[in-house]
Amino acid sequence: MVFKKSYGFAYLTPVLVLTGILYLMIVWNLVASLTVWNGILPTWKWAGFANYLNLFSLERFWDNLRHNVIWLVVFIVPTTFLGFVLADFFSAMKRTEVVFRQIFLYPMALSYIVTGTLWAWMYDPSSGLVNSLLAAFHVDVARLGWIADPNIAIYCMIVAGFWQYVGFAVVVYLGAIRGLPTEMFEAARLDGASRVRVMFGITFPNVGHGTLITTTMLAIFTVKTFDLVYIMTGGGPGDHTEVLPFLMYQVAYSQRDFGMGTAISTVILLFAAIMVIPYSNWAIKKWVRE
Amino acid sequence: MSLRADERKDFVLPYIFVVVLAVAWLLPVYAMLTTSLKTQQEVAVQHYLALPAHPETANYGQAFQALKQGLVNSLVITIPATFLCVFLGSLAAYYLIMFEFRYATIAFFGIVVASFLPYQVVLIPLTQLMNDLRLLDTYQGLIFAYLIVNTPMATLVIATFFMKTPHSFLEAAAIDGCRPFTFYRLILVPMSIPGIVSAAILVFVQIYNEFLLALALTSNPSVQPVMPTLATLKGSEVAQWQIQMAGAVIVSVVPLVVFVFLSRYFVSGLMAGYSKE
Repeated sequence: MVFKKSYGFAYLTPVLVLTGILYLMIVWNLVASLTVWNGILPTWKWAGFANYLNLFSLERFWDNLRHNVIWLVVFIVPTTFLGFVLADFFSAMKRTEVVFRQIFLYPMALSYIVTGTLWAWMYDPSSGLVNSLLAAFHVDVARLGWIADPNIAIYCMIVAGFWQYVGFAVVVYLGAIRGLPTEMFEAARLDGASRVRVMFGITFPNVGHGTLITTTMLAIFTVKTFDLVYIMTGGGPGDHTEVLPFLMYQVAYSQRDFGMGTAISTVILLFAAIMVIPYSNWAIKKWVRE
Repeated sequence: MSLRADERKDFVLPYIFVVVLAVAWLLPVYAMLTTSLKTQQEVAVQHYLALPAHPETANYGQAFQALKQGLVNSLVITIPATFLCVFLGSLAAYYLIMFEFRYATIAFFGIVVASFLPYQVVLIPLTQLMNDLRLLDTYQGLIFAYLIVNTPMATLVIATFFMKTPHSFLEAAAIDGCRPFTFYRLILVPMSIPGIVSAAILVFVQIYNEFLLALALTSNPSVQPVMPTLATLKGSEVAQWQIQMAGAVIVSVVPLVVFVFLSRYFVSGLMAGYSKE
C-alpha cells in the first residue's frame, strides 16, 4: 500500500487496546465464574461449576430466564410489525412523513431512566395517567394495578419498551422500503392488488434484511432491560418483572456473591453471543460486498 | 383528484390510523410536561390532560436543585468521553479502511462483535478493574469505562462513512508526498464531517443516557452522573409526581435538543451504528 504499514499501525492501536480490554474482561468474567468470590476481593479459589449448579438450582433463575423469553417474543413481534406497517404508510406519504417519523422516533433519544420514571407514573394504580384516562372514558376496569399486578406487570413494562423502540423499527424499514424499485409496486397495483396484499405479499418479503436488523437489534435490547426494571418496579411484585441482568446486579452488588454474579453474566453472554456473532458475520459480509 | 373510491379509502384509513397513533405517542410527554407545571393539589385531582391553571415553576426549581450537580458531572464525563471515542475511533477506522492490513477482517470482526455485545456481561470485572486502578468514584474512571464500551461502535460508524471516500484520493495524496496524518486531518476528516457528527451524536446520547455503569462505578454525589441522580430523586419524592416529572424533563432537555436540531445526523448515526446500512 501507499503508506508504510508499521507507521500506520499506530492509528489502530488505541482502539485495539480498548477493545482488547473488553475481551479481557469477558475472559476474566468467565474465569471468575469458576471460582469462589464472596465479598469485596476475588479469591481465585477454584470452585469448578459450583456457581452454575447453585444458580441452576434457584427457581428465581428460571423465572428470570422465562421473563427474558417473554420479552423476546412479546416485545419483538409487535414492535417489528408496527414498525413495518408505519414505515409502509410513511413511504407513501409526501411531506408529512418527516413529521410523523419524528413523533415516533423521539422516545429513542430519551434515557430508559426517563422512560421508566414516566411510565411508572402512568401505571400508578391510584393516581396514574392510564387509570385516570380509562376512568374519564368511563371504562371502569376496576382500576387495574398495572405494574403492581403480578400477572400483567411484565407486559406493562414491555409496552413502555414498545413505545420507545417502534421508531427504530420504522427508520430501519423506511430505509429498506425506499431501496426497493418502484416498478415492483406499480405492476402489482396495475394488476389490481389491494394495498394490504401489496404490503404483505410484495413489500414485506422484499425487506428481509430490514426484518433481520430490527429483530436482532431488538433482541439485543431485551438483554439490556436492566434500567427499566430497576426504575419501574425494582423487579417486583415478587420477582415477576426481574430479568437476568437485574438478577446479576442483585446477586453481585446486594448479596455480594460475585461468583454467582459472574456466572449469570456468562449465561447472558451466551444468550447474546448466539445473536451477535452470526449477525456480525452477516453485517460484515454485506459490508464487504458494497 | 380522480382517485377511485377504494384508492381514496386506501389512503384515508392509514392516515387516520397514523394520526391516532401519533397522538398516543405524544400523550406521555404531553402529560409529563403539564404535570411538571402543576401544584400538588392540581395533580391530586388527576385531570392530567388539563393545562395547569398557573404554571408552577417552583417544581423545576426543586428538581433542578437536586439534579444540578448530576448534570454538571454528566457533561464533564460525556463531552471528553465522546470526543475521545470519536477521535480514537476515526483513527482506527482510517487505518482499517485506507491501509492494507493482513488481519483487517479479524480486527473488524472483533470490533463489530464488541460493539453489539451488551456491556452488562462485563459489569462485574469492569467494576473490579476500576477498583484495582483506584478509579471508582472518579470522572476518569467513568470516562475510561465509557471509552472501553463505546469506541468499537464509534469506530464502525465512522468506518461506514470513510468507506465512501475513494481510495484513489489516498493514492494521489501519497504520490504528492502527503503524510498519512496530514491526509487524515486535511482531507479525510473534512470530507467525512457528516459521518463524524453522526457518530459523535450517537455516542454522546448513549453515554449521557447510560445508567448501569454510572450506578456501579460511582456513588459519591459529587461525581455521579445525572441518570442515577434522577433515580435517587424518584425514590426520594415518592408520589410527588410533579417533581419527578420536572426532573425527567430537565434531564431530557439535552438529548431532545440534539434530536430536534440534529435529527438528520441522529438518524444516520442510528442507522450506521446498528444496522450497518
